[in-house]
Amino acid sequence: MAKKKVDDRSSQNSDSTRNDGDLSSNDDEPNFSDPEGFIDDITDEELLGDVLKQKPKETDGVESVIVVDGVPQVGPDRLEKLQSVINKIFSKFGSIVNTHYPTNEKGHTKGYIFLEYSSPMHAQEAVKVTNNYKLDKQHTFLVNLFTDFSKYEKIPEVWKPPEAQTYVGQADLHYYLLEPDAYDQFCVVTGQGHSVQIWQNTQPEPAVLQDRNNWTQTYVKWSPLGTFLSTFHKQGVALWGGPSFTQYKRFSHSSVQFIDFSPCEKYIITYSPQGDAHNPEQKRIMIWDIRTGQEKRSFNPEGPSAWPIFRWSHDDKYFARMGNDVLSIYETPSFGLLEKKSLKISGIRDFSWSPTDNVIAYWVAEDKDVPARVTLLEIPNRTEIRNKNLFNVADCKIHWQKSGDYLCVKVDRYSKVRKEKTETKYSGMYFNFEIFHMREKQIPVDSVESKEPIQAFAWEPIGSKFAIIHGESPNISVSFYEVRVGQAPSLLKKLEKRACNHLFWSPNGQFIVLAGLGSNGGGSLEFVDTQDFVIMNTTDHFQASDVEWDPTGRYVVTGVSIWKAKVDTGYWMWSFQGKILKRVNLEKFAQLLWRPRCPTLLDEKQLKEIKKNLKKYYAQFESKDRMRQTKASKELIEKRSALMEKFNAYRHKRIKEWGEQKPRRLELRNGIDTDELDSDSKNVEEEIVEFFIKEEVTVIE
Amino acid sequence: MKPLLLHGHERAITQIKYNREGDLLFSSSKDNKPNVWYSLNGERLGTFNGHQGAVWCIDVDWTTTRFLSGAGDNTLKIWDCETGKPIGNITTNSSVRACNFSYSANMAAYATDKAMGHQCEIFIIDVRNADDSIGQADPILRIPVNGSRVSSLLWGALDETLLTGHENGEITIWDLKTGKKLQTTKEHDNIINDMQMSKDCTMFITASKDHTAKLFDSENLMLLKTYKTERPVNSAAVSPILEHVVLGGGQDAMDVTTTSARVGKFDSRFFHLVFEEEFGRVKGHFGPINSVAFHPDGKSYSSGGEDGYVRIHTFDSSYFEYGFDY
Repeated sequence: MAKKKVDDRSSQNSDSTRNDGDLSSNDDEPNFSDPEGFIDDITDEELLGDVLKQKPKETDGVESVIVVDGVPQVGPDRLEKLQSVINKIFSKFGSIVNTHYPTNEKGHTKGYIFLEYSSPMHAQEAVKVTNNYKLDKQHTFLVNLFTDFSKYEKIPEVWKPPEAQTYVGQADLHYYLLEPDAYDQFCVVTGQGHSVQIWQNTQPEPAVLQDRNNWTQTYVKWSPLGTFLSTFHKQGVALWGGPSFTQYKRFSHSSVQFIDFSPCEKYIITYSPQGDAHNPEQKRIMIWDIRTGQEKRSFNPEGPSAWPIFRWSHDDKYFARMGNDVLSIYETPSFGLLEKKSLKISGIRDFSWSPTDNVIAYWVAEDKDVPARVTLLEIPNRTEIRNKNLFNVADCKIHWQKSGDYLCVKVDRYSKVRKEKTETKYSGMYFNFEIFHMREKQIPVDSVESKEPIQAFAWEPIGSKFAIIHGESPNISVSFYEVRVGQAPSLLKKLEKRACNHLFWSPNGQFIVLAGLGSNGGGSLEFVDTQDFVIMNTTDHFQASDVEWDPTGRYVVTGVSIWKAKVDTGYWMWSFQGKILKRVNLEKFAQLLWRPRCPTLLDEKQLKEIKKNLKKYYAQFESKDRMRQTKASKELIEKRSALMEKFNAYRHKRIKEWGEQKPRRLELRNGIDTDELDSDSKNVEEEIVEFFIKEEVTVIE
Repeated sequence: MKPLLLHGHERAITQIKYNREGDLLFSSSKDNKPNVWYSLNGERLGTFNGHQGAVWCIDVDWTTTRFLSGAGDNTLKIWDCETGKPIGNITTNSSVRACNFSYSANMAAYATDKAMGHQCEIFIIDVRNADDSIGQADPILRIPVNGSRVSSLLWGALDETLLTGHENGEITIWDLKTGKKLQTTKEHDNIINDMQMSKDCTMFITASKDHTAKLFDSENLMLLKTYKTERPVNSAAVSPILEHVVLGGGQDAMDVTTTSARVGKFDSRFFHLVFEEEFGRVKGHFGPINSVAFHPDGKSYSSGGEDGYVRIHTFDSSYFEYGFDY
């Protein structure tokens, strides 16, 4: 803009001068001087700011100057020697373009010198390396950047309190729990994080709340209480929360692949199995404090191990990991080893925290004459509260019931063992379930035996039942047992010949989905009410790879993920009774995750109260649902009638045109009307066709 | 009702067509011999023997006197419907992929493949006095098609225009007086496998590999409706009596051996013409459906599949009773 102004003005000027020139003489130089009274309203900066920027400044080059103190004080005779020593030390970092050795009136150096490098980078490097450099016993260099002097000089004498930062309110992280109709949220990922959508499962149609592209680079994960959504990026992990899913914290850990939240969402563990090629110093496991975003501790795991490597106690107080013959328990918030040493447990194979108490269950393998053993260990006092010796053990699996009332250890046992070089081969396998009654005195243990191989085991999350899938294809059965105080587990029901390989209990118990997942499962689904073992529905979602209950146990989602199948990816929503509610076929569908809920704040008494008054609530909900339903169908009907009206308007116009063209059509077909099937009555011949029908009589004996 | 299974072909069905009255059903297949059947009982009336390659396209004129077939043996043949004897034979440079009689049946159009160094071309021929000499006669019009080849072809109303569907999903309307393009639209992302007129020829439905079928105005190519599926659509037809369309398709024939019939979804799918909502499916084929057609009375429909079967389905009364609320 400024330049244009100048151009305009100069052209005006030249015009006026030309006129002047015409009057005087044509050969004269035009007059470029400003006319009288002209005030220059353009500053130099406006005119040639870009040139001015390059104008050398006094301070230029100061960044490349370093000050070396502690240099020997020498007379003029030894100055040359000193210079060569100094040069030798400092020219390693870059070319020295200027030196200055201040001297007193006698020509003695003052003990400090100035060196100027060709670039500030070299100066910085020199400061970093040569500060505190020991030249000899008496002389140690103190090296500083020249600019540091001015920086430290400017520090004000009087301390001024820092200005208070304005408080930025944290968004309500738990707003979703206040949803009046208790609609749950779920997250849908398509492709490699190409699109991440947050849905609210509103009735009758779910509504999308957030839709972002490239929100994550691989997958997403909810925190265990549902407060945060975590996304994965090359640089690390990001947590999102609040009503509009704003970024809450970032944890920088390059090429992170796995994360694990502590159960109370205080800490997060990130794991980058490959590490960072550019930064080999980065540890592969890092533990962070979620609220402050600070790194609390980091580790490099030895060898491959099953994720999660670190396992948390239910209250975030402890976390533990297993090594060779050792169990290391760490405590928070110090993140140090509990009692400063690990537990030596030779032959430890697996361990698991109780979901409600600070109790660890672990098992050790057999060793020659020593039997295998399952131990319950109380933390932090490390007392063994229960031991159980087991014989002929090939493998164990530890299953805690969600409410911590029971522990089941599934034991694979053998009748014969054969050692073949490095491999151990077991034969004559049979299976035991050791049930620990955690809430009873001295923790009694019951045992259930099965001769058939076990495909799956699952505790009812709330309640005292467990389900197992056993047998070999095609004779797969599902058995349900109930555990009672002071009694051995009793078989409630056995469902025979089922096509399933996975068990999914409703989060509130009672209802269970038996699913056949994977390539040989076919996606069969069976919805069972375990109160009276009514099979509510038997159906399938072909090639289903995932089954997800919503946190309230009202809905079930089955999904075909792009990670497992190529075609027909998508998710279907069912009621807990197995009624199909919605089929969403989504190209490149990858993942669906319900947002978890915090545990209820109601106590047992209040829960009972609600259950007692269920009929009252039932009527309310029923009427609410009906209203929504009618509203939805009304909307649909309105939409349809609008479509129909529009289409009919178009059709009327076209049919009119078509009618007008009738004479031309007749002309093309020799005057025969073929517009309707029976409009041409003259050329029709009636024909009676007879068919032979084969008749056969078969006498059934 | 139990469908009639027509098993006369030894290879995949490529196209099926009813005659104007609907008493006969013509079918073509990759086994070189087009067939004609009684649509009422599924009895085979006869075959048209003479082609030496897969028959890609067929048509029958409005009087059911002549039958047209284009094949992979680089010929277009005109047959006498009554006797099943060839009347004329036209040798082309490459496979004939689409052919159609005009409304008056005085003319016919066909399109050749872009193959063997030859360009795709559209031909308009006079078939009024078709006989042995038709092979030497010059076509009325010959339109070379640059770019994407013609995969489907229809006559516009009143024999003045021609509609072509192309391999890249384009639809073009041609003026036959000048041989020039009038308009082109690209609503599909993949090859247009089939185009069929509505009963009054004011609309036509396209079937595309891009998993959709679409309804267009046949004069200005305005997109009216879209019917979405999750499989390639090979053929689509509009009911002559109700506001319904039927779509046939399924997993690509190429991938079929690796998938079960359930994954393939070889179903005929019924959509409401206006609401674009699917309301019914008919199972039966164990390969993709290559061609569907409504009986002109709208009371039955047929489908021809990659499995070599033609199935004639007569609608149950519940089909006619079913209505949408609006």
